[in-house]
Amino acid sequence: MKNRSLSFWLFLTPTLVALALVVFIPAIMGVFYSFTNWDGLGYTEMLGFKNYITLFHNSGFLAALWFTVRFVIVTVILLNVIGLALALLVTQKFKGSNLLRTIFFMPNLIGGLILGFIWQFIFTQAFTAIGKALHIAGLSGWLTDAKTGFWGLVIVTVWQMSGYIMIIYIAYLQNIPSEVIEAAEMDGASPWQRFVHITFPMIAPAFTICMFLTLSNGFKIYDQNLSLTNGGPYKSTEMLAMNIVNTAYSENNFALAEAKALIFFLIVAAISMLQVYYNRKREVDL
Amino acid sequence: MTKGWKKLGVTVLAGAMALTLVGCGNSNSSSASNKKVKITIFQGKVESNKQFKQIAARYHKLHPNVSISVSSVGGGTDYSPVLKTRISSGNAPTIFSLAGPADVKQFASQEADLSNTKAAKAAQSGTLNAVTTNGKTVGLPFNVEGYGFVYNKTIFKKAGIDPTSLTTMAKLTAAVKKIDSEKSELGIKGVFALPGKETWILSDHLANLYVGQQFNGNAQKMYKSKSMSFTANKEMKSMIDLQKQYSVGPVMQLDYSAQVNQNFSQGKVAMIQQGDWIYSTVEQIDKKFAKNDIGMIPIPVKGYENKLPVGTSLYWGVNKNKSTAEQTAAKNFLDWLYTSKEGKKLVVNKLHFVPAYKGYGNVKMPDALSQVVFKYSKANKTIGWAFPAYTGTSWDPNTFQPNLQKYLSGKQSWDTTVKNSIKGWNEQQSSN
Repeated sequence: MKNRSLSFWLFLTPTLVALALVVFIPAIMGVFYSFTNWDGLGYTEMLGFKNYITLFHNSGFLAALWFTVRFVIVTVILLNVIGLALALLVTQKFKGSNLLRTIFFMPNLIGGLILGFIWQFIFTQAFTAIGKALHIAGLSGWLTDAKTGFWGLVIVTVWQMSGYIMIIYIAYLQNIPSEVIEAAEMDGASPWQRFVHITFPMIAPAFTICMFLTLSNGFKIYDQNLSLTNGGPYKSTEMLAMNIVNTAYSENNFALAEAKALIFFLIVAAISMLQVYYNRKREVDL
Repeated sequence: MTKGWKKLGVTVLAGAMALTLVGCGNSNSSSASNKKVKITIFQGKVESNKQFKQIAARYHKLHPNVSISVSSVGGGTDYSPVLKTRISSGNAPTIFSLAGPADVKQFASQEADLSNTKAAKAAQSGTLNAVTTNGKTVGLPFNVEGYGFVYNKTIFKKAGIDPTSLTTMAKLTAAVKKIDSEKSELGIKGVFALPGKETWILSDHLANLYVGQQFNGNAQKMYKSKSMSFTANKEMKSMIDLQKQYSVGPVMQLDYSAQVNQNFSQGKVAMIQQGDWIYSTVEQIDKKFAKNDIGMIPIPVKGYENKLPVGTSLYWGVNKNKSTAEQTAAKNFLDWLYTSKEGKKLVVNKLHFVPAYKGYGNVKMPDALSQVVFKYSKANKTIGWAFPAYTGTSWDPNTFQPNLQKYLSGKQSWDTTVKNSIKGWNEQQSSN
């Protein structure tokens, strides 16, 4: 037994050391730096909570937070609805369902930056051309306005991630025992009743995972934001991650960025934990 | 098995001994002759990095005891974090670049006094404003750059307008209206291409002429000022309105590449507000057009007629925490580059830099735009660049740029734009 615990620690130590070096120590230092006037090189004075106070007025943080929250609400709903719909579609038995799976998953293989630039072209060139041809004024000028910029971001994110979410739902859909469905069919349940009363509760664990993934990803999005709108026009489409990066690198205010990042971390952790807790409660065991 | 290991051990041992001997031999011979110095350059003008490497190799040939390694990361927001990382990790470069007063303050613990270098003494008046604090000069300009309205000669000739005569706002407006009325005959889509997406073209460059007036275009003065009076704001508004009204649209969808590559270089607009740095881009698209058909005129501003905004975007700094030998070698290299006969040739012909230093006499600049900048800067008909004072801090990207964009997209009145901008400046400067 003693021997075993020695080897246990021997194997664990390298990982623990690595984790401490790249995660725990920097995180603790970051918390410390957020109370100073750190500029990336050194600090000259302790500011106490001054950075945290600045953060809540006129630093763009609240605007970015509000934009991000709205974005997350919309994308979580859309991604889960569309992801589940796609999963239900490709688990039907018909020719080409495997091909469709690949097609739906494909966007997920393209990196966010490239995807953003491709879509930027679609929004500014293709949309404008189509709008002109069909005389729909609403199609031109996308990404140049806060409202359409928001929807541009939503469209690209949903387009990219729904295939991934679909895969998770497929895995759970295929795990539903066919006897249960057959039994319900025998009892005369309509397809809609079967979905609401059997499929839906049976894939509850998938909801927990997908909600968590879409929620935390939505908060962390940076590359699509950078390549599509770069926060413009007039900072109206700047999301939290971008706001933090800009504070540190273009405004050279590393300490304030640390404070923002810490608040950001707390918000995302709290929301994700609450979400997992409540979703877990409604999972059913067979 | 044991034999094998022994053999290996002997080989390794012998190898190690040989290495030590070679190492000793080397150090002996070098201390006998000239002392070897190795300096490192880390600079922010990524487009010139290849040329700097060639220049460093040439310098090493002439001074075999000095070896120089050059590396680069481009862009203001990418460069300084990397420099910080290198300094913090104990791998600080000997020579680095500084972008303006904010950088000067930021890297104060690294900057050697360069006041006594030949290059600093030869620098043109005004080019050292941004890097001089407490009587000490801590930076040497890379080059000077200038901006104004870059125009298409053919279109102006067809329209019968002499671009050099457009020295006042009234004359410019009249010419713009005339060109606009003949758009279809001239075969253009608009007079200007105003990129509303590119925040710096209006905020840094245009505003420099109107906001910087109060500080005579002196970045250091502006950086230290607690308050700002944006008195010339009405004139700035009329200039923005003029460019917006006669630009190809939609203005908010145009960016730098739409302005330069897709519109100006293809002859779709008569002029754009840009600087001499666009030359190589235009040349890549249309060599003939770049060579024969482009020119540049100053932006007409009341009280500063026929003056070109000329300034420096980057400066060389030398690290004062390095050994004296290394610092001396670094200073000698910069002196050689900007003041020696061969160095000067390289600056003009290899780097295509408009020199920021005296003593270049009548060299011919290699392209039309840098010729204009050189002409104005030699004749002292220039306005300084004050904007490094505000782009290096958070006022511009946080306050001025978004407010100007709001005005440009019609979301906000000009009065509010001015009021918010002044308020933002005062708030930032009072918290410093």
